[in-house]
Amino acid sequence: MPGVERLLPERRRHVVTKGDGTAVLPECGRPTVPGLVSERACAFYGARWMLGAIPDVIHLVHGPAGCAYFGGIVRRKSYRVFSTQLEESDIVFGAGEKLYRAILEAVAAAPGARAVLVYATCTAGLIGDDLDGICRRAARAVGRPVVPVNSPGFCGYSQAAGHDIAAGVLLEHFIGTGKAQEPVANGVNLLGEFDVMGDLGEIERLLQQLGLRILCAFSGRAATTAMADAHRARLNIVHCRRTGQRLADAMQERFGTPQLKVSFFGFEETASALHSIGKFFGSAGVEEIVEQGRREVGNAAPFLKKLAGKRVALFFGASRIGTMARAFAELGMEVVMIGSQFGCLEDYGDAGARVRAGTVLIDDPPEKELEEFIRKYRPHLFVGGTKEKYLATKLGVPFLVFPQEMSSFAGFRGFVNLAREAAGLVGAPVWRLARCERYYRTLQTAEG
Amino acid sequence: MRLREIPVDGIPYDRLCVEKIPAAPEYIARDPELVPASNRSVVVNPNRICMPIGAMWAVLGVHRAIPFVQGAQGCTTYARYTFCRIFKEPATIATASFHEDAAVFGGRKNVIEGIRNLVVRYWPGLIGVVTTCSSEIMGDDMVSFLKEARARLSREIGREKTEEIPIVLINTPSFAGSHVEGYDRASKAFLESLATTRDVLSERVNIIPGMLYPGDIREIRHLLEEMNVEGTVLFDISDTLDAPLNPPQEIPYYPPGGTPVSEIRQMANARATFALQPHAGGSGARYLERKFGIPAFIGPVPIGVAATDAFLQNLSRITGREIPASLRDERGRLVDAMADTLHHTMMKRVAIFGDPDVVIGMTRFACELGMTPVAVSSGTPSKTFEGEIESIFREYRELFLAEPRVFNGGDLFEFEEYLKTLPQIDLILGHSKGVDISRELEIPLVRVGFPIYDRFGYQKKPVVGYRGAELLLYEIVNELLDYRYPDDRTQQL
Repeated sequence: MPGVERLLPERRRHVVTKGDGTAVLPECGRPTVPGLVSERACAFYGARWMLGAIPDVIHLVHGPAGCAYFGGIVRRKSYRVFSTQLEESDIVFGAGEKLYRAILEAVAAAPGARAVLVYATCTAGLIGDDLDGICRRAARAVGRPVVPVNSPGFCGYSQAAGHDIAAGVLLEHFIGTGKAQEPVANGVNLLGEFDVMGDLGEIERLLQQLGLRILCAFSGRAATTAMADAHRARLNIVHCRRTGQRLADAMQERFGTPQLKVSFFGFEETASALHSIGKFFGSAGVEEIVEQGRREVGNAAPFLKKLAGKRVALFFGASRIGTMARAFAELGMEVVMIGSQFGCLEDYGDAGARVRAGTVLIDDPPEKELEEFIRKYRPHLFVGGTKEKYLATKLGVPFLVFPQEMSSFAGFRGFVNLAREAAGLVGAPVWRLARCERYYRTLQTAEG
Repeated sequence: MRLREIPVDGIPYDRLCVEKIPAAPEYIARDPELVPASNRSVVVNPNRICMPIGAMWAVLGVHRAIPFVQGAQGCTTYARYTFCRIFKEPATIATASFHEDAAVFGGRKNVIEGIRNLVVRYWPGLIGVVTTCSSEIMGDDMVSFLKEARARLSREIGREKTEEIPIVLINTPSFAGSHVEGYDRASKAFLESLATTRDVLSERVNIIPGMLYPGDIREIRHLLEEMNVEGTVLFDISDTLDAPLNPPQEIPYYPPGGTPVSEIRQMANARATFALQPHAGGSGARYLERKFGIPAFIGPVPIGVAATDAFLQNLSRITGREIPASLRDERGRLVDAMADTLHHTMMKRVAIFGDPDVVIGMTRFACELGMTPVAVSSGTPSKTFEGEIESIFREYRELFLAEPRVFNGGDLFEFEEYLKTLPQIDLILGHSKGVDISRELEIPLVRVGFPIYDRFGYQKKPVVGYRGAELLLYEIVNELLDYRYPDDRTQQL
């Protein structure tokens, strides 16, 4: 897109087209260009994304009311949040004592909680309270772990920094703290699986057929007790590289737990995931499960007819770009753009290998570039987050929201759901009706 | 009910229950010492957001204006999510993208480069610079930074083009107030920097609606039209955040509408200013009154009969226009509906929460319906809130069996725990954050106020004016019927 390059030279190398003889992969992991409508979020957001679903701890946001309010919703689900709700006087005189009192009161208000997570926001980071010291002191007073999550919003270039901070917290304070050491013969962990709309249930159903048991899913099903036992798993299954890889590497180093990077999106990916997991455990009957899956996926046939040859643009957070590109190709769609907010070179390499020449790979596109892209390539379907949805819709392009809103997309059954939703969106009458000028014209010709 | 799909063989009873995520698996009675928000440092489920989002809301109501948020990316991303979810519209908000270097060296570089990038990419009609906690704590000298940004811009695109893009600075340190205050500060900042000269006086009136939805603003416009009064609505989000789907669209996409900058400049020439919400917009009206002597009518928000009456009477008095028969008919229809449904609304016990002005308006309307407010909570603390509520209660004293409880600036935890101690409540009036309370206590919730993100269409349904009140009344009554009567009984109401 030539306009961008002239106006913003910083953005030049972030956009590449596969097979046009220039760079193969876009530049990534760079600071965001200021002044644009960035689709990225902050470290606090990333930390909440990773930790928000942990059920049996107190989530205490050390910051102003806004951060606590916004942080209460993670992946469109509402959670209880505690906050110090910092006011002007706290900024001037320091908020350490207030935080200490707040921790004690939070535990008194929710005495069943097994730990307290204290999230630092920009404000907390800037006024420079001794968060670690206060948390240590409070932990002694409440008799359970009080863990600082040092995630001021300005840390790093995107929410990815928050994912790493959160992973560090889990590793240091929660994972493998249980007393029992002996491995669970059929135990596995899922890393980077957040149980959006029942994804976890579908994956679990498949793993159960292999005779496996999920000890802990980070963090769709990660009670502190489950995390404490996570080191007993025989295998770590990494579902999302961005949020799971770091945990997997650290656990491999510390407990010797081997890891497998797989994906449960799309038929081929799910099948190969089951094959490799089955091979690891020497499970029998993988073929039957995959065959059964193939029959289930057959239900998607009527939808695939509608999707054949349609252009799709994908815009995700990070590491799903590769596997989702493959899943959408299985739907018979032509992937014309792959973008991510904070993907790494590995992610783009994965994605680039799975798409045909001419596909645009774009790193950290601001809203404006997505808009220009939509105009230039006119995809039949755009896949991305809520923020991008309404712009695409306004330009007349159907939009599928991720993380999904309606049904599970994981596993074989999820693939059928994905096909159904994509076909429903692409073929909906509203897009025809929306072109009212053309509509008026056809009416006139019909009457004339 | 959180079923993913209804199975062919029906919904089993064990799946009918509500999915909850409690902090502790077993229910534990609360320590009564900890329930009142004033007794504790910790806030549980805050009932207010921070200042910048109120200012961003305001800027989005100006024609071709883009907010520029001087803070980390989350400050815009969270706000954009919120706007998208409420309005189902794109929200273009630029960010200065603070990273660690900004936290150490300040946000000078970010704002100078950011303003330049924003202009060359979008060519906005106006930029509203919204500060955040980080930039305020670091002590960014925004006034001089913006001067530098302008100088940089002139070098690149020429002085004339730079002059065409006004920049309004809104200081909104998040920790010093809520979204209501942010909107209020924006109203003052816009008028101070744009409405600077009173030269050619006009017959127009200024309306600062506060954080009201597009449907409400359209209803206010309807009232003005019926009164035959021309008015400027400052921060008119009625089109910018409720745009038609009409492809193919011009690129860059700018939503239609919004208050034109030229009209904001003319606000200094107006005959009067009506700030419908004293807490959100009152400062703007007071500024015009102080500086130019333009009479300011501050509140009440025209929800219900008496408050709409007051608004129209003030409008009539200042413009000399009669209240027309058409509006008298609308009022008559509202009162007729109130009489028709009185047996359902009277003496119903209702709990109300939200932003201070909307809560005051809803409380008055509830009293007009013969309902009994048992608890009212304003998420944003206010000096006048308690007094206003008390004066409503004095006016409708005959309705009350017990003294209602007023929470000024409390959180939702306190509100919920208090409601649990009350004998029976029939209805909750409040925004989407009350869904959990409503489910927990099994009391119907009628959604009013900011924000409503879990249902469709509320942003288009007015609550102000006579017609808005009528729609709201029907929603209240229908909700009560849904909860209280079996279906066969409702045939004979």
